[in-house]
Amino acid sequence: MTTVMVVDDHPMWREAVERDLAARGFEVVATAGDAGAAVRRAQAVRPDVVVMDLQLGAGSGVDATRDVVAALPTTRVLVLSASAEQADVLEAVKAGASGYLVKSASADELADAVTRTAAGDAVFSAGLAGLLLGEYRRLQAGPDDGAPRLTERETEVLKLVSRGLSAKAIAERLVLSHRTVENHVQNTLRKLQLHNRVELTRYAIEHGLADPGDA
Amino acid sequence: MTATGGPVVRHRDLLAPLWRVVVAFRLVAWVLAVLGWFREREDYPGMAAPLAVLGAMAVWTGVVTVLYSRGSGRRVRTTLLDLGVTVLLLAATVTTQPPGAFGEGAPIVTSIWVAGPALAMALVRGRAGGLAGALVVWAAVTLLRGYVGDREVFNLTLLVLIAVLLGHAATITRQAELALREAAAAQAAAAERERLGRAVHDGVLQVLVAVRRRARSTDELADLGRLAAEQEVALRGLLTTGAPVAVGTTDLGTALRLLATPDVEVSGPAEPVEVPAHTGTELVAAVREALANTAEHAPGARAWVSLEPADDEVVVVVRDDGPGIPEGRLPAAEQEGHHGVRSSICGRLADLGGSAVLHTGPGQGTEWELTVPREGPR
Repeated sequence: MTTVMVVDDHPMWREAVERDLAARGFEVVATAGDAGAAVRRAQAVRPDVVVMDLQLGAGSGVDATRDVVAALPTTRVLVLSASAEQADVLEAVKAGASGYLVKSASADELADAVTRTAAGDAVFSAGLAGLLLGEYRRLQAGPDDGAPRLTERETEVLKLVSRGLSAKAIAERLVLSHRTVENHVQNTLRKLQLHNRVELTRYAIEHGLADPGDA
Repeated sequence: MTATGGPVVRHRDLLAPLWRVVVAFRLVAWVLAVLGWFREREDYPGMAAPLAVLGAMAVWTGVVTVLYSRGSGRRVRTTLLDLGVTVLLLAATVTTQPPGAFGEGAPIVTSIWVAGPALAMALVRGRAGGLAGALVVWAAVTLLRGYVGDREVFNLTLLVLIAVLLGHAATITRQAELALREAAAAQAAAAERERLGRAVHDGVLQVLVAVRRRARSTDELADLGRLAAEQEVALRGLLTTGAPVAVGTTDLGTALRLLATPDVEVSGPAEPVEVPAHTGTELVAAVREALANTAEHAPGARAWVSLEPADDEVVVVVRDDGPGIPEGRLPAAEQEGHHGVRSSICGRLADLGGSAVLHTGPGQGTEWELTVPREGPR
């Protein structure tokens, strides 16, 4: 059974999500109301999936995401966010979250997203595709030569995802296999996360926060 | 910030330091006038007249010091009165010299003290005020002397220059003060929104979420749940402040995200996509029209709004997964008098110098591709 931890600073929301997930056969092994408790409890219970709200009262969901992903390589983080925090969503995904779902998604959509996250797939909403396209565009305009680039095909696929097309519809339109489309989509996220990790390590070394030998 | 209210916007006169300079100039100029008279006292036929003028100057210096030190005295009326009295005192110096002496270069006891009102006028009326004050003083001195010598041209040109520069500085300071006050007001508004946002986030939103989550299970409450979900998304949108953008421009990302509902997903970059305010308004109106068409002709369909900025243009795609528009339906609708699509979408985009392309077909949904150039219409 897939184990899940729910992080949100509002008890009412936590209970609602917990109930929805339990009713669909998930085991909610822990809940947390702030970033600190989230990281501590995740290390204790090692859930398969952490459902993370970004607007936490104390501490940021982005930092909690980074810490959970760093401490627990097998735990995946699914960001559940209000539509109002686009920049935070992007940061959380770059920090290692596997996907993002808007809070207005239905209980069935949430259950489906948790299942796919547990299976190691990125949960790609149209909103996330739009954020990634924007981020690649920003990186391309920036001075960093080592920044990741999208191939033409990847850009095409991401654009169609951001317009709300399903992987199946994209495969039909571009005459590709369903699996190829999925791979393209996953690659765009992985490239960005990898780049982000490299950047963090470089920053840490440059600022004397880490020994180059550790990297 | 205090917990009980927004930040207090305190009114501070940024011109106050410049007024202190004007007052100090008056005092120093009076002392210089006294010293000047003392040094050249042999050039005056009598003592009584110049001392009387110096005494009157001292009294008036005291009066304007008091007037200009208070906010209520720093106004056009006061400076004009100052100018009048000063010119009168200048005229009174004819009693200090025998007739015709000024024409031969005899010293004027008021000296540079007469420049004071020009500086004060510069502070209340900017460059024009400073220039007017300086020219009146110039005219009065010229009238008294009956000629314009090198020294006069030099001194009075300097006076005009300083008065105009001071006026310029005063205008800039006043504009800066205005901008500062606007910024403080904007900050207060943002703080207030944040405060309201916290209250809504902790209260109303949570209840709406609970209603929606519980209502899903039972049929008779399903409508209530859907309404709660709509209000929840709308409230969240209203609480979004968005990134600050330049005056006269709109962040399309923030504007379009306000259109999100449980059935409409909006995607775009996290960074603001700035377009001229008019372009933003028209584009959002066109998107609204496309979404309204979907809601009307394909009830229950989901829709996506995708914002795709490029270097020289901005593309907004509005797509739905409804049944699509059968071929020939749009021209037929227009013949029946429905001009919604043509005027509201195509017309708006054409006015913006852009284009609207519709891809549709039975079973394919509808997909509007709205393109506007980034610079706006040329």
